[in-house]
Amino acid sequence: MTTATRPARPMSLWRLEWLRLVRTPRAVSLGAVFLATGLLEPVATRYASVLLSHVARGTVVSLPKPTAAQALSSYVSEATIVGLIVLVAMAASAYNFDARPGLSAFFRTRVPSMWRLIAPRFAASAAAGVVAYLLGTLAAWYETRLLIGPLPAGGLLAGMLCAAVYLMFAVAVTALAASLTTSTVASVGITLAILLAALPLLGEVHAISSWVPTALVSAPADLVSSPPADDLAHYVPALAVSAVAGALALVAAVLRLQARET
Amino acid sequence: MINLAAGPAHPILHAWPALIPVAVLILGLDGYCLVNLVRAPSVRNLPKPLWAIVILFVSAPLGAILYLCFGTDRTGTGRTRPPSPGGAPTSALSATAAPSAVQPTLLAPGPADRRPVVTTTGLSRDYGGIGLFDVDLVVPQGSIYGLVGLNGAGKTTLLSILAATRRPDRGTVSLAVGRTSAAVCPDVPEFDPWLTSTEVAGLARALVAPGSDSSASVAAALRATGLADAADRRVGGLSRGMLQRLGLACALAGDPELLILDEPMSALDPAGRAELLGVIAGMRGTRTVIFSSHILADVQRVADQIGILRAGRLLYQGSTAELMDRYLTPSWLLRIAGPADPVQAALAAQPWVTKVEATEPGVLQVDATGIADGERGIPAIVAACGARQVACEPVTADLESAFLALTGAGVKEVA
Repeated sequence: MTTATRPARPMSLWRLEWLRLVRTPRAVSLGAVFLATGLLEPVATRYASVLLSHVARGTVVSLPKPTAAQALSSYVSEATIVGLIVLVAMAASAYNFDARPGLSAFFRTRVPSMWRLIAPRFAASAAAGVVAYLLGTLAAWYETRLLIGPLPAGGLLAGMLCAAVYLMFAVAVTALAASLTTSTVASVGITLAILLAALPLLGEVHAISSWVPTALVSAPADLVSSPPADDLAHYVPALAVSAVAGALALVAAVLRLQARET
Repeated sequence: MINLAAGPAHPILHAWPALIPVAVLILGLDGYCLVNLVRAPSVRNLPKPLWAIVILFVSAPLGAILYLCFGTDRTGTGRTRPPSPGGAPTSALSATAAPSAVQPTLLAPGPADRRPVVTTTGLSRDYGGIGLFDVDLVVPQGSIYGLVGLNGAGKTTLLSILAATRRPDRGTVSLAVGRTSAAVCPDVPEFDPWLTSTEVAGLARALVAPGSDSSASVAAALRATGLADAADRRVGGLSRGMLQRLGLACALAGDPELLILDEPMSALDPAGRAELLGVIAGMRGTRTVIFSSHILADVQRVADQIGILRAGRLLYQGSTAELMDRYLTPSWLLRIAGPADPVQAALAAQPWVTKVEATEPGVLQVDATGIADGERGIPAIVAACGARQVACEPVTADLESAFLALTGAGVKEVA
């Protein structure tokens, strides 16, 4: 007995990436991490003294009244570590199809250009990361506005732009790391070592600190502080370097993956 | 300590609009995980009831996040159909089951006038003394080419170079078909487990023929490989044998002129192997198939062309029948009704008979110089003697014997 097959939507490498997001916990996990951070960090900032007093029983903890910028800064610092780790792990598992020889053969014997394979993976991971970050930022803005006070819309939008470019850069670096090793865990490790250790160390060199992509990490908080610590023009060098370095990382990843034997 | 009972309302109570989204997120995540848990056919690490307790009672939303990270089944949820009994497909494999959507133009059947589809010249890949050395492969169009050899003989290396997933150190590979007209099926096919069989085959089709209508080809390929009943099942729930069928379905969905199959029957049970051999045999004359196998009886059954590799070198290449004729001393057991002595004497006088002896009353073992000589000569001698032939069975005329004669390998090595 045979069963009539259900009419299926045409498959493509772009639809494959969409299904990867929605049929696995990837999209939910990413959104949950950024949303939870965006919702909880302003609450924690606003009620830090209450919470600390509750923890240190009998002791009254008094802290200066928090500012809206502090609440957003708290969100950004959490999101750019926890959220970044989740995003990098998600992207690395998508890039590392060579980790499974049978899957590698499926794609490599059918797709002549590695760019056709990498572009949808980069686009889907970067878009998911940026959307999750924006949702988290909107949640943080909502909570901050209710609990502490308003945030300047211009600075908030500029900060979102900087963070979005940084996340895309991070996903591109993940592609490069995936071209260096076939292990997903190793790819995640290499990427995080670059993003969380090497680049911040490079940023300590004063002469180039404003050119290093990690300068964009603090931009969302700095751009909404009162008075603003910086304006968007201050981050243009880091934006430019991130865009160019991200593009170069993608090109290098494609070339390395094209040359790899499986 | 927070005192909510006395004095003015605690400031945190004024913040309820800010807490609503937090509560919605936490409850939403818990709800999503519970629905996911209920619909999941299976979960990892813990039984379902324990995961329910973790989601509900471990500090929200930590329990839900733990479930998402460590509990969710990679095969996904909801749209999975229950497997057919025994996990095996119910529709039989058949060479004729595939409709015209996956059948290319019929080629000329005669092997002599077929142009080669695959030609290699001096192909070498050295992995430090092992690998592939000076292989000149010629695969005629429309043939079923069986590649045999011991473990480490270089079969997978050769197929990988033909598939362009590895590069040779020296030598050339020439394909008479485009790269997208050549399909490859590895010995252990792997796919993203959250896709259905139809989606995997559809993707395989879309990658080699973008923009074309794939539904007919995909459905035909799944039917041809006995996976029609598993069309909507998630790949993560398929058995190894079904994955191997799906690998072949993906190859067929692209309507290839050349199929390269690495150990295509290695995970199949005897019935599945026989059915898949039928599918491969049915492609003779319509597609060119190169397949490797350790099971020499399978190769003998379907391959009209054969290549024998040993230590990276091609020892023999050509017709399977010619190989057996060339490297064997064919032998038959001839059963005669009545006295066998006259037949024995007549056979012993023939120049093409190398040995004839009575193994038991009425049974003669006849060794000949060639298969054709024996097949033509024995019945003629029996008839000339006026004897009645009960049976005439070949004794050692199989590929395994030829392989052993050619490679000098022991039986254990072949297995």
